Amino acid sequence: MSAHSSGTREIGKQRTRRRILAKATRLCARNGFSRTRTLEVARAARVSHGSVFVHFRSRDELLSAVVSEMTREITDALHAQVASGASLTHTLAAHLECLAEREQSIRWLLLEIPLLPRGVHAPWLAFQSATSFHIGQAAERDMAAGSIEEMPLHLLFNTWIGLVNHYVINRELFAPNKSALRVHGPVLLEHFSNLISAPASMARRRKGTA
Amino acid sequence: MSDPETGGCVSCGMPMRSDADHALGDRSKDFCAHCSNGDGTMMRYEEVLTRMAEFLQTAQGLDEQVAHDAAKDMLAKMPAWQQR
Ligand SMILES: [Zn+2]
Repeated sequence: MSAHSSGTREIGKQRTRRRILAKATRLCARNGFSRTRTLEVARAARVSHGSVFVHFRSRDELLSAVVSEMTREITDALHAQVASGASLTHTLAAHLECLAEREQSIRWLLLEIPLLPRGVHAPWLAFQSATSFHIGQAAERDMAAGSIEEMPLHLLFNTWIGLVNHYVINRELFAPNKSALRVHGPVLLEHFSNLISAPASMARRRKGTA
Repeated sequence: MSDPETGGCVSCGMPMRSDADHALGDRSKDFCAHCSNGDGTMMRYEEVLTRMAEFLQTAQGLDEQVAHDAAKDMLAKMPAWQQR
């Protein structure tokens, strides 16, 4: 076999893997993770059922790849924000936008995570930690500048994500047939920013100008 | 170099975007600066596990045992720890 033909085969294999993953992602967004079956994914991707397992050892591994891929995109976007020196408010706005783009999938994950195979828990928890870490990096700058209150990272993150997730989970109550985060995100962000902002006197004191 | 599937550290999975993210700032290292000892060798499994569990606790406030078990699950998928 020539190097050329094995290279072509490898590209074809990668393309099939990506197609299976994309179809699985779409089905999970529409029907939920627990209801998404490998046979449906195979049909949607126009491959044999067995072919799914050439690329993913099990359904568990496929679902965990869907979560890993989706969450990596969000983490990359947050990283870009923080690396550019964005304030906490701008970082949180970017976070909201990332979640809004995938709101349906995120909602299913929040509702279903305790019922999903253990293999899916690890990428989900890794994602939550990465999100908290990036938000924390932006927050540290603002805390050092005295513009927001000092607080432990996990409480900052859990307060924010608790608020956001409540709207996502209950979107039918807050924004029927719409994106809860597109409708309410700006108000939630403003409210949260007010909650954590430090009084102006403290900002002056930390800068040593008081 | 890095995990061929994810582009991340083969030990902890952290994305390595810049030279400084690699052990000793050396792009040829497939593990990250956090998983590196001062001399550029990879930390032992137990150390990586402890650090990962601590990270989960700091970031999310998870229960200690929950964080430990989750870190174990995460490392079980990493190329560096497949022989364990
Ligand atoms: Zn690492």
